Amino acid sequence: MKQSLRRIGLVARREFMAAVMNKGFVIGLLLMPAIIGLLIAVFPLVSSRNVPAVRGEVAVVDPTGQVAGALRTALTAEAITARRRDSAMRALQNTPAVVRDAATSPTAIARTVGAAPALTILERTASADLQREKQWLTEPVAAGGLRHLALIVVQPNAVIASAPAEYGSYELFIPENIDDRLETELYDAIRESLVAARIRAHNLNRNEVEAVMRVRRAASVTVAAGAERQTNVAFNRMLPFVFAGLLVFGVTIGGQTLLTQTVEEKSNRVIEVLLSAVSPIELMAGKILGQMAVSMLVLAIYIGLGLVTLMSFAMLGLLDPLLIVYLIVFFLISYLLFAAVFSAVGAAVNEMREAQSLMTPVMLLLMAPWMFATVIGREPNSAFSVALSFIPPVNTFAMMIRLGSATPPPIWQVLVTMVVGLAAACAVTWFAAKVFKVGLLMHGKAPDMATLMRWAREA
Amino acid sequence: MQPALELRNLRKTFGATVAVEGMDLVVPRGALYGVIGPNGAGKTTCIRMIMSILFPDSGELSVLGRRSALEAKDRIGYLPEERGVYRKMKVGAFLIYMAELKGLAAEDAAARVPRLLQEIGLPGIEGKRCEDLSKGMLQRVQFLAAVIHQPDLLILDEPFSGQDPVSVRVLREHILGEHRRGATVLLSTHVMAHAEEMCQHVVMIHQGRKVLDEAMAGLRRQFDPRIIYFEPLDENATASSLDETATASSLDAHATASGLAANATASSLSAVIGVERVESLDGSYRITLIPGTDPAGMMPRLAAAVAPARIELARLRLEDVFVRIVTEGSRSQVASEALRASVTAGAEGVLA
Repeated sequence: MKQSLRRIGLVARREFMAAVMNKGFVIGLLLMPAIIGLLIAVFPLVSSRNVPAVRGEVAVVDPTGQVAGALRTALTAEAITARRRDSAMRALQNTPAVVRDAATSPTAIARTVGAAPALTILERTASADLQREKQWLTEPVAAGGLRHLALIVVQPNAVIASAPAEYGSYELFIPENIDDRLETELYDAIRESLVAARIRAHNLNRNEVEAVMRVRRAASVTVAAGAERQTNVAFNRMLPFVFAGLLVFGVTIGGQTLLTQTVEEKSNRVIEVLLSAVSPIELMAGKILGQMAVSMLVLAIYIGLGLVTLMSFAMLGLLDPLLIVYLIVFFLISYLLFAAVFSAVGAAVNEMREAQSLMTPVMLLLMAPWMFATVIGREPNSAFSVALSFIPPVNTFAMMIRLGSATPPPIWQVLVTMVVGLAAACAVTWFAAKVFKVGLLMHGKAPDMATLMRWAREA
Repeated sequence: MQPALELRNLRKTFGATVAVEGMDLVVPRGALYGVIGPNGAGKTTCIRMIMSILFPDSGELSVLGRRSALEAKDRIGYLPEERGVYRKMKVGAFLIYMAELKGLAAEDAAARVPRLLQEIGLPGIEGKRCEDLSKGMLQRVQFLAAVIHQPDLLILDEPFSGQDPVSVRVLREHILGEHRRGATVLLSTHVMAHAEEMCQHVVMIHQGRKVLDEAMAGLRRQFDPRIIYFEPLDENATASSLDETATASSLDAHATASGLAANATASSLSAVIGVERVESLDGSYRITLIPGTDPAGMMPRLAAAVAPARIELARLRLEDVFVRIVTEGSRSQVASEALRASVTAGAEGVLA
């Protein structure tokens, strides 16, 4: 037993060192944070800077005669810029103070707002031919000329209701390939113009109406035992997905390396040399443990980076440390299950190409939690979410999303998830070990699922 | 003392194919055994069962007194037929890793590696990656991985396959060195000449069954080839194939002065009592004796008949023994030649 554990340890150590002392690993490890950092740093620059302002004409058919004027005002560059600024400020409302301060500096805001479009409003008569106006949208424009960007047709009862509280609206026609942002801005401007026209038509005081309608949204405060803290909506919303993502990422990185290395050992015929020194089960156990250490290292680095980020934004208090413990426990369970499958597939095939067909269902299972992530995140205690928490292999991922939510599940459900997950992992490992044992020395035709089942029976 | 290896009635099938059937074998401690047979005979399957890499369908085995090689892995050195290395690993690290898996402390292994590499003719390559070595060098490294922990039992499956003559010679010396150290050696090869040169005892396997289990000394007695190679002192003596019945026609066909001399030599040799047939072999003669004739007694008589430059009793060839055993009962020349071809296939070019 002692010798056996020693051999498992030696195999695990070699697996770990072979993976970690590899340039590819270091590059892979740094790649994701580097990409995220790059996106954070570069995206605002490339998305806002030097974007040429949209220039063009917007035709308005206004039978009420009360909207077009307001629309002309609402679509001036100044009005659009003001709306963009308000929108950016609203989006930053729930971000940490450090981020908010940085993002609302005059330079940052100017970069976010960008260059406002220069729109020319063309008022058409109420009796204008709609078909002809639509054709105007598709007419070619001479080089340097103004593009025909939109046709707005205000309905006759859009300002004065035809029946009590039955207001009409408007129609918006646009050519192909119009920017989403411009379209949104047209909607906002039309809405603002219609509301303004209606207020005027009813002789209401706009300021009073707006004051009546305005309710400041308070930032909620999370009350915990012995402490209160500002609730961070964005943080709470993101947290479950970050944890589930780490779980999937950790399992995938370890499993994939395990698969690749086992296939490589088999194809370069080192397997039989190893089998003269260790049993197949010792070999499999060593490989799984070695790669588990690799995944744990990756997770530790990413969690560490996350904690440092939270600390630097003075948000560390928002994170429940127990979540990290749960992440590690669920990672171990999920990893054991998937790693056993990855190693069995690696032992069964002769080259990576052959592994693809066997890996497709495994990868689908691994990705399945993402399909349900939004549903679980929105209603973490619905019957569906609870049921998923008990069905392996997605149970650990589902539970991780639930645990990260604002309304975490009761502890008994967490324990059931652990027990069910562990039982499934043991069963899968038992099956995988049999396939691993037989598959290692099999060469030739790539096996299918039926072959793997037969091997498991024969082993 | 218990034998190093004992197999009792082992059987192994793969689907409908019977790979090994009724295999009994006892290898005493300290012996050097050769397991021979053509490709696909069942040698590797047998060895894999001994190593507990495969498990028999039925039968029993003991390895170094244990019921399974799994219980004695640290005392066994194994060089499989399908052998590889971690290509990116350095030679020293690979050897230390294998030694550690075999129970050696890392420090002891690290101390042994440079000495062993030196002894096998690869000094100073510890720091090289395995992928940077030539095939011959790599095979020597693989051999070291099998013996670095000084095993009690060394099992070598086709150790010379794909090796150049220099590597074969180096490896052969080291295998014999391991044997002299006291290790029991079980050597599998389809190149029977290797077994002839090295082994004390050979086991022949054909179609999954053992067809011979005999000491080389006994084999030499039992399968006496009755062939003597004779080179006359007179260099002009040459002749085509002759035998006692064909002598007259052959003499007519080669009526030259040297031909006459050669025929005279062949006739003289054929005339010696106990000679069954004389064949010419480009300047020398191959003399087949009548069954039951004592070759040692014949040699002075042949030398008396024709003055020899060289006279030599043919060595036993396992290939001949194998063919004779397997084709015994069926006198089909075609079957015999086909079998000989299968035995020698792949052997050419690897003989040192």
